[in-house]
Amino acid sequence: MGERRRVVVTGIGLLTALGGDGERLAGRLFDGAGGIGRLRSLDAAKFKSQNAAELEPDALSMSLTALGLRASDRTTDMSLVVAGQALATAGLLPGGHGSPAEETAVVFGTGNGPSHALQEAWDTYAQKGGRLMRPTTVPRCMANALSSMVSIHFGLRGGNYVVMSSCSSSTTAIGIGYRSVLHGYADRVLCGGSESMFTETLYASWDNLGVMSRHAEPTRASRPFDQDRDGFVLGEGAGAILLESLDAAKARGAKIRAEVLGFGESSDGTHITRPSVEGQAKAMAQALRSAGLPPGAIDFVNAHGTGTKANDATEAEAIAAVFGAAGAQPWVASSKPFFGHLLGAAGVVETIACVLQLEHGRLHGNPNLERPDPACTVRLVGREASSQALRVGMKNSFGFGGGNATLILGRFEE
Amino acid sequence: MTVTRSQIIHRLRGIMARTATTQHDWDRVGEEDAIAALGIDSLAMLDFVYDIQQEFGIQFEAHELVEVTTVGKLATFIGERTTA
Repeated sequence: MGERRRVVVTGIGLLTALGGDGERLAGRLFDGAGGIGRLRSLDAAKFKSQNAAELEPDALSMSLTALGLRASDRTTDMSLVVAGQALATAGLLPGGHGSPAEETAVVFGTGNGPSHALQEAWDTYAQKGGRLMRPTTVPRCMANALSSMVSIHFGLRGGNYVVMSSCSSSTTAIGIGYRSVLHGYADRVLCGGSESMFTETLYASWDNLGVMSRHAEPTRASRPFDQDRDGFVLGEGAGAILLESLDAAKARGAKIRAEVLGFGESSDGTHITRPSVEGQAKAMAQALRSAGLPPGAIDFVNAHGTGTKANDATEAEAIAAVFGAAGAQPWVASSKPFFGHLLGAAGVVETIACVLQLEHGRLHGNPNLERPDPACTVRLVGREASSQALRVGMKNSFGFGGGNATLILGRFEE
Repeated sequence: MTVTRSQIIHRLRGIMARTATTQHDWDRVGEEDAIAALGIDSLAMLDFVYDIQQEFGIQFEAHELVEVTTVGKLATFIGERTTA
């Protein structure tokens, strides 16, 4: 187990307000056309923050039907859909006994797990009492239903578990999968994340925390690193990537989409919600060491970039601590204006955005960056996409609780 | 209000479509179909019983269904309790 193997991405699945197709997402990223609108699934008038990035109304049900599945919990269902896409695009379906997919492990990240099943359980208890609660409430509401149902439905018999570290969850899930393949504990790991917190109690909880944008124009509400930013826009969605050792991928002739080059993680150890420059910089520096790359090798940073005052200022300072003055830095952009903040699923969907940018040789812009915050001394991409010679990107994710995770991704080269 | 037998079977099809672990053409499921062949495993049976109780406003224990092996027998079982 002392060997170090190359780890590549061979499958991608996603479901966001911008749909469930990678090339469609790439098109929207490069056109600057986001999927944020006014909150639809809840009564927006009840809340101070009324912007949201929700799935198209029938997107999930249609995808479930295509898989021959019935609806269970929205978050768990999205996990199944993106897992199926990732396995299909990797050429690993149908699976089953003796197939290359059989020993695949499953590691998914989520901030809250099956939120809609939990809401249903709370509502039933409040309205009818404990004796009339659904008898399958436990398996519906356990957070590891996300990974377990993926394992069961697709017959994946490596390990399966869920990472819960708030907004860094699915980036950490990819990091764990990367290390497993890197050191030979697994040939294939399906890494992902899923989140939908559009329930009455959870949306109200976020609303009252005061971290979501109250901008009157939904399409302009998510504005990371802008002087006029006032919070994030909640999104829902899921993503999955199939990590595989280069040798295993080549042995079956798989199409290689990108390479995972490094992973770093840290804990702030300071505050449950306030981010830390030191903690974030430590995760980035560790990721660089893991990849064996100097800071100058990074072409772009896909920032955590939530659009809150605190996150962006802290992240900018951390990036400057790692890379130096803005002139020496890689390009910095946030993908959240396109599909909102997906919380536990943010990392994997934004990692997919990085893979697409590496494949296309194009950086998406910061579409709402109208007045860059001079306090954020980072080298921000402008509002438009631009063509670049991209070889290596960094993906940051930082969570409430102080968990920081950074991945380094590269365009695949022999 | 009395629920007709055809109404019971129609509503049972909807419950089975939500709870079964396998897909079927539920519109074609009828009196003679065996419940065990419709993908109602032991875990799904918990939801199946719960949803029947909620749908028809009746109470019973799962073990009372031991002899209730077909959709038709289940419709009779429910009919007897909704008119009781």
